Amino acid sequence: MINASHKRSDFIERSMLSALAFLKEATMSEEYANRKGFLQSLDPRFKTISLLAFLLTAVSLKSAVLIGILYGLCLILALLSSVPVRRFLVRTLLFIPLFSICIVLPTLFSLVTPGEPVWSFQVLGVSGILTRPGVDGAVLFVVRIATSVSLVVLLSLTTRYSELLKVLRVLGIPQIFVLTVSMCYRYLYLFATMVENIFTAVKSRVGVVSRQRQGQSIVTWNIANTWNRTTQMSEEVYMAMLSRGYTGEPRLLSEFNAMPKDWVWLLCALIICAGLFYSGHIL
Amino acid sequence: MSDTVFEVKDVHYSYLGKFPALCGIDITIRSGEKIAVIGANGTGKSTLLQLLDGLIFPDHGHVTAFGERLLENSQFDAKTAHLFRKRVGLVFQNADIQLFCPSVREDIAFGPLQFGVAAQEVKRRTLEVAEVLDIQHLLDRVPHQLSIGEKRRVAIASVLAIDPDVYLFDEPTAGLDPLTVRHIIDFIVNANRRGKTIITATHDLHIIGEIADTVYVFGRNKSIVRGGSSDSVLNDRSLLESNNLIHMHRHHHEGREHVHQHLPLEPHD
Ligand SMILES: Nc1ncnc2c1ncn2[C@@H]1O[C@H](COP(=O)(O)OP(=O)(O)OP(=O)(O)O)[C@@H](O)[C@H]1O
Ligand SMILES: [Mg+2]
Repeated sequence: MINASHKRSDFIERSMLSALAFLKEATMSEEYANRKGFLQSLDPRFKTISLLAFLLTAVSLKSAVLIGILYGLCLILALLSSVPVRRFLVRTLLFIPLFSICIVLPTLFSLVTPGEPVWSFQVLGVSGILTRPGVDGAVLFVVRIATSVSLVVLLSLTTRYSELLKVLRVLGIPQIFVLTVSMCYRYLYLFATMVENIFTAVKSRVGVVSRQRQGQSIVTWNIANTWNRTTQMSEEVYMAMLSRGYTGEPRLLSEFNAMPKDWVWLLCALIICAGLFYSGHIL
Repeated sequence: MSDTVFEVKDVHYSYLGKFPALCGIDITIRSGEKIAVIGANGTGKSTLLQLLDGLIFPDHGHVTAFGERLLENSQFDAKTAHLFRKRVGLVFQNADIQLFCPSVREDIAFGPLQFGVAAQEVKRRTLEVAEVLDIQHLLDRVPHQLSIGEKRRVAIASVLAIDPDVYLFDEPTAGLDPLTVRHIIDFIVNANRRGKTIITATHDLHIIGEIADTVYVFGRNKSIVRGGSSDSVLNDRSLLESNNLIHMHRHHHEGREHVHQHLPLEPHD
């Protein structure tokens, strides 16, 4: 009995740690962003805009076949950008549940950047799916999600995180919002590291975590404590910002330079999107 | 002759109104001085530096900087506050707190940008500062993924880029390897030679001789138990021992047990 419960918690512990490690690796590693490849060579602004255009197309199209073409394009881009396709596929599949939520998120963004008719169209697309639970709809949904997720993962894999934030800024997302996102990201990293460390620390002190009462209370206490630390940290970070002259309106650097190649690529991307839209209408 | 930078008068501070951190502190600091604040853990060193940087404010008593009282933000005229921040830079004890930008480059640029320095000049300064602290190769890294020593250098660079008149260092050498400690001490000494006022909180007695002319010792009652020239303080063994700054060292030596104090300035026998 003891043995069984021990095994189970060992399993939980292991899967939790590997989930954390995966989260860190998936979001923080800049391995692919530093490789030489097609997407890496593009100006981050142009790359983001073109991939976003594909994304918008993918979520607005109503034909699984046409979206499938975009998916194929996405895989070709991954190949050209020296992202190993098998790992890429595995990653995107794992991220699908998470990104299903993100597809609904643009509703939120339309508040931030109003005036683009495409956004509301996209929202309609999603609500359409929710009300039509047929098999066709399900297939369309999966293809669409897989394509969107692949595009987003491709973007985040081939772009340095600091550049991605800069692009958000350049695209007119309010700076305070970008700063908040960047801090969330930082805390996520610190949080993941902290939880990892706590696990190791508790294990080294108590031996096997789950077999002893004491171990459990240490874990509970540490989780509360981690939360406390995170909130206290954000206060202190605010102080650090004040100390260096922050007055509530952060000023940040932005430096990009576009090459003719970037324009050509953007043009191609837009033509592809327009073509797909057009075929979507005809079909 | 030299003008007063900080005047701390009978300052009391407690966290959340119930955890006392400073009880009745009086210090006057003049321009160009090298000051060290030493004391065991939890004696209020960091709290004092944050008060001096105008990040927290005394419950009782007051802090004057460059002839003006430091007051809560709401009462602090925005322009005066901005000017104050330009003149005083704090290197935090925890570099993880200090570095909040997505890349080292942006973290270094953050300060100057807030003070309205032109982009071109900010870029030039970033490179210059990176060279001084030997972190050129880290510029495109994510700050929180660096080692402690690298983070510390970046944190110092981010303050140096502002080029303040007064540097506040909170434990600048804690947890660093000897060579990095050497670089940081050299940096502090050089800054002082250029006329900067330096205030360092530390419990590393080894470095005090170099980085301070005047030392204040904080006691467990969270007040100053002694202030004076660094030599006189370092030679007062009973004072240092009673304040947890040195400890007895026991070891075997040529067959006999042997106890002595662990003191920084003397060669180990
Ligand atoms: N955020 C906080 N909330 C409550 N109490 C605090 C907080 N920060 C510090 N204190 C308390 O204030 C006192 C002084 O803390 P401070 O951090 O100034 O000490 P320190 O001399 O810098 O110590 P160390 O050498 O460990 O850095 C301590 O007793 C500490 O417990
Ligand atoms: Mg401290």
